[in-house]
Amino acid sequence: MSTTAERRAVVSTPGATPDKDWVIVTRGLKREYDMGGEVVRALRGVDIAIRRNEYVAIMGPSGSGKSTLMNLIGCLDTPNGGEYWLNGMLVSKMSDDQLARVRNKEIGFVFQTFNLLPRATALHNVELPLVYAGVSSDERKRRAKAALAAVQLDNRMHHRPNELSGGQRQRVAIARALVNEPSILLADEPTGNLDSATSTEIMKVFEELASTGQTVIMVTHEPDIAAHARRVVVLRDGLVASDDKRATFKQQMGLP
Amino acid sequence: MQYRDVIATALGQIAANKLRSFFTLLGIIVSVTFLIAVLAIIQGMNVYVQDNVAGAMIGTNTFQVRRSPINITRFADDDLDRIARRPIISKTDAAVVREVMPDAEAVSMQSGWPTPIADVTWRGRTVGDALVLGVTAPYQTVQDYRIAQGRPLTDIDEEERRAVVVLGADLAEKLFEEVDPVGKDVRLLGEWFTVIGVNARKGQVLGQSFDGFVLMPLSRFEMIYGRRNTTTVSVKVASAEEVAPAMARVEEALRVARHLRPTQDSNFSLETSDALVDFWRTLTRVLFAIVPAIVSIGIVVGGIVIMNIMLMSVTERTHEIGIRKAMGARARDIERQFLVEAIVLATLGGLLGVLSGWSMASAVAAASPLPARVTTWSVVLALSLGAGVGVAFGVYPARRAARLDPISAMRAE
Ligand SMILES: Nc1ncnc2c1ncn2[C@@H]1O[C@H](COP(=O)(O)OP(=O)(O)O)[C@@H](O)[C@H]1O
Ligand SMILES: [Mg+2]
Repeated sequence: MSTTAERRAVVSTPGATPDKDWVIVTRGLKREYDMGGEVVRALRGVDIAIRRNEYVAIMGPSGSGKSTLMNLIGCLDTPNGGEYWLNGMLVSKMSDDQLARVRNKEIGFVFQTFNLLPRATALHNVELPLVYAGVSSDERKRRAKAALAAVQLDNRMHHRPNELSGGQRQRVAIARALVNEPSILLADEPTGNLDSATSTEIMKVFEELASTGQTVIMVTHEPDIAAHARRVVVLRDGLVASDDKRATFKQQMGLP
Repeated sequence: MQYRDVIATALGQIAANKLRSFFTLLGIIVSVTFLIAVLAIIQGMNVYVQDNVAGAMIGTNTFQVRRSPINITRFADDDLDRIARRPIISKTDAAVVREVMPDAEAVSMQSGWPTPIADVTWRGRTVGDALVLGVTAPYQTVQDYRIAQGRPLTDIDEEERRAVVVLGADLAEKLFEEVDPVGKDVRLLGEWFTVIGVNARKGQVLGQSFDGFVLMPLSRFEMIYGRRNTTTVSVKVASAEEVAPAMARVEEALRVARHLRPTQDSNFSLETSDALVDFWRTLTRVLFAIVPAIVSIGIVVGGIVIMNIMLMSVTERTHEIGIRKAMGARARDIERQFLVEAIVLATLGGLLGVLSGWSMASAVAAASPLPARVTTWSVVLALSLGAGVGVAFGVYPARRAARLDPISAMRAE
């Protein structure tokens, strides 16, 4: 287990390449949006370091920059300033094609709104990352089926998203995120569109994944969901307001 | 991403929007249909002219000695003036030809174009618009006429300028019905002619009967119509191989007889049925050039429609593009997907156009004597036009799709 002090040391050494054990290291990460003259500073210098096998919850009020950070970590977006290292690679300097490759190989992303191809079957949706990885059709089918089986959806493979419940859709999305065996699983409010019973069910899936050693970073609003995580990062106004292990967070929130 | 997947995705997309795809392609389908059908019909006409018309007009293994060439489209104005001053083809010329071609199957003289038309009357019954040909006896060999009743024209008929005629089968049937025409006297241009024979049926070429003629001795024909400057000598030889050497011999003999110096051009023309085919080809070549030009306009319009639909499709599928990019699609994967879709779409239009053009040409072939020939090159042309349109009008929408930013694209709904 890493300590907060250790993490601080990693993120605050300018110019140093972090060792391979750190999956994610950001230094002074900035993202600004130019809204026709008025600059929105969504991230104002975020330092964060995440080790392999960590289960991290990101919290913070609406508009604090959680999604912006997730998109940067997920290589869907590029920062205006600062550095971002993923598995020791300097992502913040990569070309669009290289970013596409990192998204494809290293990152599994689960979104609040599922983002499944509406006309494609569950199986085909899960195959999608493998299509862009250039995996052959047979191999793709085999791996996509296995990923769907892992989320208990092997009996819904040929259903389209509109024939599935919200919880089932999110499971398809999780299967899709995991099919390429990514080094990190990102989830931006994955239960935001689900009722509480289904939310619990989906959270159990993440819990299990984390317990098998999958690195998970999840944005959530709900303290009891965040309580599942072993580490909580709180953002406020585009900056890290606190970054503490679960015990500390529980004390903060007055939980048992 | 593998090409199989790209094409499968494109086909899936087109299949999911069958009706829209069809209407998108209408412009291309109609243009290509027109292209294939018209080219097939022209090609069919070419073959038809080659196989039937040329042979029927001039005779097989036959060449003509003419005052003017058949295909005058090749000549400039001053050449045409020179041709207009050429002497007519006379009996003396025919005699020269006969002398150097003793082994010819037949050497004939016949009245040329335009063929006069006359009414033929027998016992108050008149058949109008019979074509009147003045010919020497061997012309019947040149044209492979078979006599069905009576006898053919002879050299004596020619020498004595006899008022006799041989009738075409159609003409004889209309005029005499059940009666035997041989020996009957018919009235033609105010004169009496005795029917000495009826030719066997030759059939139709281009809807034109070859059995509506009146054949009479050339000497008698000239008594009525005078000496015309389109009189022609025909030479029939035993085989196709003999045509060219025979033409050379005849040309040499005529040049000597007409006292032409070696530097002078021949003041007559030697022609085979090739010239007729050639003439026809000159006419159709213009069509071959014009038709694809007209079709290109249609295809460009069709291409613009495709571009519009593809742009619409990019807008509609922005969310999908965002998802694909988030899952690791590179800009070039997205570009290729949309480009291939446009190409597959446009090529499909070309293919449908080929099929419908083909069936249209076949319908024409079935309903008329024209054989329609859909040639490989017109199919290749149509399909490559289709694919080309796909590329030309697919690039812009594909680039637009490829440039989309994954986050904002995913936010679109
Ligand atoms: N595409 C964008 N264009 C302009 N401003 C944006 C954009 N995305 C986010 N923002 C702004 O950045 C800030 C952080 O947004 P976001 O990361 O979505 O917050 P959160 O997910 O924590 O609610 C907000 O003020 C938001 O309005
Ligand atoms: Mg958010």
